[in-house]
Amino acid sequence: MNIEMIRNGRSAVITVDGRLDTMTSPEFEKYLNENIEGIDELTVDCEKLKYVSSAGLRVLLSAHKRMSAVGGMKLVNVSEIVNEVFEITRFSDILNIE
Amino acid sequence: MKKILGITFGGLQKKAVILVVIVMLLSAAMFVAVTAYQNNTLVKVVAETRTEQQKAISESSDATMRKVVENSLVSSTALQANLADNDFAEIIGWTRTLQTMAQGVLENKGSLSQIPVGLPDPALDGVSSAYVLCEEGVDPSRSEYLGYIAHLSTPMIAMHGNSDKIDSCYIGLCDGTDLCVDEKSAGKLDESGRPIPFPVRERPWYVGAMERGDLYFTGITVDAFTHELLITCAAPVTADGEAVGVVGIDVILDGVSDFIANSAEGNKAYVVNDRGEVILGPDKGGVFEINVQSEAADLRESGNAELASFVRKALEEPTGLVTVTIRGKAYYMVGTPMPTVGWAVLNVVDKERTEQAEKLLLAEYDRINDEASESFRRETAKTNRFGIILLFGAFVIGLAGALFAVNRMVKPIRQMTESIVECGRSGKPFEMQDRFRTNDEIEVLAESFDDLFRKIERYIRDITDITAEKERISTELSLATRIQADMLPNIFPAFPDRDEFDIYATMDPAKEVGGDFYDFFLIDDDHLGVVIADVSGKGIPAALFMMGSKILVQNYAMTGLSPARVLEKVNDQICANNREQMFVTVWLGILELSTGKLTCANAGHEYPVLKTPGGRFELYRDKHGFVIGGMENMRYAEYEITLAPGAKLFLYTDGVPEATDTEGALFGTERMLEALNAGSDDPPMEILRKVRAGVDGFVGEAEQFDDLTMVCLAYLGKGGA
Repeated sequence: MNIEMIRNGRSAVITVDGRLDTMTSPEFEKYLNENIEGIDELTVDCEKLKYVSSAGLRVLLSAHKRMSAVGGMKLVNVSEIVNEVFEITRFSDILNIE
Repeated sequence: MKKILGITFGGLQKKAVILVVIVMLLSAAMFVAVTAYQNNTLVKVVAETRTEQQKAISESSDATMRKVVENSLVSSTALQANLADNDFAEIIGWTRTLQTMAQGVLENKGSLSQIPVGLPDPALDGVSSAYVLCEEGVDPSRSEYLGYIAHLSTPMIAMHGNSDKIDSCYIGLCDGTDLCVDEKSAGKLDESGRPIPFPVRERPWYVGAMERGDLYFTGITVDAFTHELLITCAAPVTADGEAVGVVGIDVILDGVSDFIANSAEGNKAYVVNDRGEVILGPDKGGVFEINVQSEAADLRESGNAELASFVRKALEEPTGLVTVTIRGKAYYMVGTPMPTVGWAVLNVVDKERTEQAEKLLLAEYDRINDEASESFRRETAKTNRFGIILLFGAFVIGLAGALFAVNRMVKPIRQMTESIVECGRSGKPFEMQDRFRTNDEIEVLAESFDDLFRKIERYIRDITDITAEKERISTELSLATRIQADMLPNIFPAFPDRDEFDIYATMDPAKEVGGDFYDFFLIDDDHLGVVIADVSGKGIPAALFMMGSKILVQNYAMTGLSPARVLEKVNDQICANNREQMFVTVWLGILELSTGKLTCANAGHEYPVLKTPGGRFELYRDKHGFVIGGMENMRYAEYEITLAPGAKLFLYTDGVPEATDTEGALFGTERMLEALNAGSDDPPMEILRKVRAGVDGFVGEAEQFDDLTMVCLAYLGKGGA
């Protein structure tokens, strides 16, 4: 998994490349904890995100809650497979998916 | 490694000793080379210096001696020439006087009377007396001039008495008579007292003076009576323009030149007359031998060109110092002319004699040099011997010292090596000891080893502890696995006394404990609760969260609440205290066994799979709610499905469709449905086994990432199938 973030003032775009599963989610969580301080609006680009497991969902939910307190978080370019996961788990109701 | 006298040879020791030996041999070789070079150089320098000094001494000595000889010889020769010339000038003076007197008498004979002259009177022998000598057969009384000449008897006796150089003086006349004055009258008579005839006109002085017509010195002649060698100075007497006689004076050579008689070996003086004959000199024999005039050699015409040239020059001018070689021997010669008589005084010095001082000096110098050289050679030999002994001593001491030092150096290393080898064998740690405290790298090395062994020991202890801890955790985990498994209904058939349904379930955690769970329980006699759930994450945190979730779901379900209400209650309960933001997807269904009515609620879980009797397993796309534990106050929708007898319900966690093969492909719901439909009429246990086999076949060697949990319920209806 590769994570890249382009920061623009108080907003940022994070690109996640690969699988977000039990093995990789702690890394993503750590990355977010270290890098989203001071960011109000976070966009997660899911174009290269191939899979999200329940562990990945937890990290996304965590980030969503944290960002909701300041500005907000949205997910863009969500693939069908990933979207299905969001649908099944109803994360699609909670997260801002565009 | 050998051990001799407690010192080990070999290893580092050997190398160090070899190094020391090489260094020492090199220094020894260098010492020997330098010494030899110095000696050679010194010897050479001494020899060269010697030659040069000898040459210098020789040259300077030669020049100096020549100078000294020249100075003294030139001046003394000049002096001698002067003296001799004076002497002979005096003789000449007397001769001229006598000549003048004789001529005066003869020119005035007219006014003079003839007086008789007596024969030699032996009684007057020893005093000056005048007498007549005659040639054989000549009668003096008949002489034309003798009577007049006789007037000169008295002045002649006076002259003879006045000069110590005059041996005799006389006037020889052309008539064969001779008026003679000397002190040897007795010698002129024979045994019988008759006068011995005297060949006046044959005497060399008479002949010479007559021939020359002027003053004439004879060479060396033999006295007619005494047979002694003498020189006569003669001068002709003329009367009326005619030569009538000769005056002569015999010169006492002893009295003339004492310096010649006194000239000693090495520095001899000679007088050479104008005919190149030696007339005075100390030699008997040799080039400068004095001979009577008839036999005397003319040195000017000597076969020795050097000598001839020298003599010729000496008769004309002072020669300065000339080196003349006679019969292979070098002589210094100086000649100075005697201007009055036209002779020359020669001084001859044996050059060898003048060189004697130089030779002595050189000999002395050689002796000193030889002594010094010998002494130097002796000292050098001694020094060399001493140097070799010193070198040998240094070599032995150095070797012993090196052995000792290296042994001291190597000993701790060896002991340390032994110690470490022993440690390796026994497993005991290496310990720092005082003998390794050498204040150098060895101590550092020993300390490092000590430190290393301590660290290894600690590391081993840590590993042991960790392994023990891991073992403990593993034991606990396997225990937890069993507890977790035991928490779930796992005895099948689960309800042997109920024939309305058949249920079978499996849970395979990816790790020892999982976050998935299934559950089924009879709420009352007619209602069966079925649960399948998936906690976010895996392992112990998921397992703990799962335990709580399972109990909460069952507890609320047992109160008779509808599935949606149960999920809402559980959600609120979990959200109230979920700092870790864990969540769980739950599908909960309550089956009314009597009617087959299944009331369900889904909190974010996978779609259930349903099979109608005679139909195929298909996904049932139900109404979903959000996961439990994600947000507070969530509301969940319920839906009802009526199961006809023979219908089957398959529940699963995402571990099934998301099982991944080595290529990263997902198993997917399609393959899952295929696996289900492959034996859709089989009993639940067989169905689950087939799905599992399908998943395993798909995944192959890939590692199982997710928990794999499945439940299959077969509704058989009232009275069973």
